[in-house]
Amino acid sequence: MTETGLRHYLELTERFQAERSASAPEWLRAFRREGTEQLARQGFPTSKHEEWKYTQVGPLVSQAFAPVRTVHEADVQEAVARHALPGPGPRLVFVDGWFVRELSLLGGVPAGLTVRSLREALPEEGEALTEVLGRRGRAEESPFTALNAALLEEGALVRVAPGTVCAEPVQLLFLTLERRETPVLSSPRVLVMAGESSELTLVESYGAVGPGVSFTNAVTEAVLGAGAHLTHLKVQAEAETAYHVGGLHVEQGRDSRFASHLVSLGGALARNEVHTVFAAEGGECTLHGLYVGHGSQHLDHYTRLDHAHPRCSSSELYKGVLDDKARGTFHGRVLVRPDAQHTDARQSNRNLLLSEGAMADARPQMEILADDVKCSHGATVGRLDEQALFYLRARGIPRAEAERLLTHAFASEVVGAVPLAALRDQVETLLALKLPGAGEIRV
Amino acid sequence: MRPLLSIKDLYVRVAGREVLKGINLELLPGEVHAIMGPNGSGKSTLSQVLAGRESYEVTGGQVLFDGKDLLALPAEERAAAGVFMAFQYPVEIPGVGNLHFLRTALNAQRRGRGLEELDAMDFMQLAREKSKLVQLDQAFMQRSVNEGFSGGEKKRNEIFQMAVLEPKLAILDETDSGLDIDALRVVAGGINALRSTERSMLVITHYQRLLDYVVPDKVSVLAGGRIVKTGGRELAKELEQKGYAWLGEAARAVEARA
Ligand SMILES: Nc1ncnc2c1ncn2[C@@H]1O[C@H](COP(=O)(O)OP(=O)(O)O)[C@@H](O)[C@H]1O
Ligand SMILES: [Mg+2]
Repeated sequence: MTETGLRHYLELTERFQAERSASAPEWLRAFRREGTEQLARQGFPTSKHEEWKYTQVGPLVSQAFAPVRTVHEADVQEAVARHALPGPGPRLVFVDGWFVRELSLLGGVPAGLTVRSLREALPEEGEALTEVLGRRGRAEESPFTALNAALLEEGALVRVAPGTVCAEPVQLLFLTLERRETPVLSSPRVLVMAGESSELTLVESYGAVGPGVSFTNAVTEAVLGAGAHLTHLKVQAEAETAYHVGGLHVEQGRDSRFASHLVSLGGALARNEVHTVFAAEGGECTLHGLYVGHGSQHLDHYTRLDHAHPRCSSSELYKGVLDDKARGTFHGRVLVRPDAQHTDARQSNRNLLLSEGAMADARPQMEILADDVKCSHGATVGRLDEQALFYLRARGIPRAEAERLLTHAFASEVVGAVPLAALRDQVETLLALKLPGAGEIRV
Repeated sequence: MRPLLSIKDLYVRVAGREVLKGINLELLPGEVHAIMGPNGSGKSTLSQVLAGRESYEVTGGQVLFDGKDLLALPAEERAAAGVFMAFQYPVEIPGVGNLHFLRTALNAQRRGRGLEELDAMDFMQLAREKSKLVQLDQAFMQRSVNEGFSGGEKKRNEIFQMAVLEPKLAILDETDSGLDIDALRVVAGGINALRSTERSMLVITHYQRLLDYVVPDKVSVLAGGRIVKTGGRELAKELEQKGYAWLGEAARAVEARA
């Protein structure tokens, strides 16, 4: 099955590249070709791959997903309104992976900040983009990154000049249309260049306009200069029939501060990877994740945090709430290299199972090769606290409502840490719709 | 007068062991009845069973509340019917705001009684007023339920909840334990303020100290899973002077009869 699937994708990328061979400069052709070659060499992962132990990509690979040039209809507006953050923007909206200028907000961009469609930026910026493009999101490290590279065309370029402090968040909104005839593949690539001492909050929102089978294969790469602060927020709220693979690859300069907050709610199968590297001393990295699955959703998380230099600190917290027959997986690797003295690394994964059939795989992993370090990690898989449940019921709160309250409380540790009130509210609304039972709960 | 609560020959098993062995007790409306007893005698078991904890298995007997079969109701319906139990060990619930919790509870009870729910504004006003009874600072209201509260703060929070929920029956399980004398006075003041002809109380305590402030109408002694003696308020004093050992004989006598 995966061989046929692989052939489909290889042919697809070759066709795609042939169509663009006249217009693309040599470096870009080579970049895409390398993607195809890496995909051919690696193939799609099976459960024998250590990093894909819990997740079968079969259903994703066996369908003939392909990019579709979209003509979107009016009801996209409603989905934009639902997912858009209030405020002046900037906001780039993509439908089925294509940038849509009319739905985007491009005004009010402060001096020192560039936010634009990657397809538009490619001819003007040219090879200079490889300063970040392919730097950490490397085709040789994953077939999905390779596939994204082979189909490279659209996405976003976000550049913050040194010293620029952006007060307003930048939002990238990716919407997938309901589609029956062709299962659509979108391959956005987001490039973030955060100059020295710059500050930026970047929000990536993934949503659907109605249900439908689609495959989003997204790659985001960010390079933080010395002293830069970058906060990356991602809300994955695609249709529950959709497939989503997302890789976030970050390189942190000296004394830089990076935070990633991931909320994964949608998808029949969603895989999110976060890879960060401290490329110099003194960096700080926070990785937060929340995944909430029901039905037969499969939500997979793989993180790799590389302490390659001394005096850096990292703190990771991923929490999962799983109901029905949903499965959540967390595999978090923290690598503390021999030179990385005075590392402070904490990692935690906690899972709440709401049903007999739900399942969580927790695999925290620390490889510590330096000796003067402070490291801790842990993982739990549990059910609702009976004592707490009884306390609430003894005060008159019916069982279902009490369970909901406690589940919400469990999730609130991650939601509450999202540093953007408007996004927090959005996530609360999405959660309220998703958690078992109905009615409004505010904690 | 019909008793508000009537416990008849109640047997309860916990973790495979018989802990309550035939409890009989009647509580009239407005009555305050103290239950004293040594550690391990079954005081908390009785409290939890009355509040509806399922892990405590009732193997015999009957409990009528307001004439209805209390044991047939799940915990939340007992609360809505007017039963309140102040926990000996209040539970910490991280992530659930104290006020939000209490408003959810009050409104669930009001729904159960066919009353309109209170909106956030009206509730805030009610909570602010009731918190004065036990001098619970506003800061505690915004925090997670009991999280990081000191022992005394937890107990004050229990009485604050009782003040807001206004039950017909309050079961206070060692609400005095772990309190210093000032905190005890505050908590006792709160309890006394909530005494009324409409509200009965089972005041469960290990020491008679609390009963200097909350003066009961009756005192019963629970030992070895049975009520071994019932008397007036002077019984508490007697227990203080003589200790529980003095009851050994009475307790053994009951044991022999069983
Ligand atoms: N959850 C439980 N599991 C096992 N034994 C229990 C449990 N609760 C109470 N017991 C036992 O029942 C007896 C009575 O306990 P308890 O009702 O807590 O007494 P008191 O409140 O009077 O100190 C004790 O022997 C105690 O060990
Ligand atoms: Mg006790």
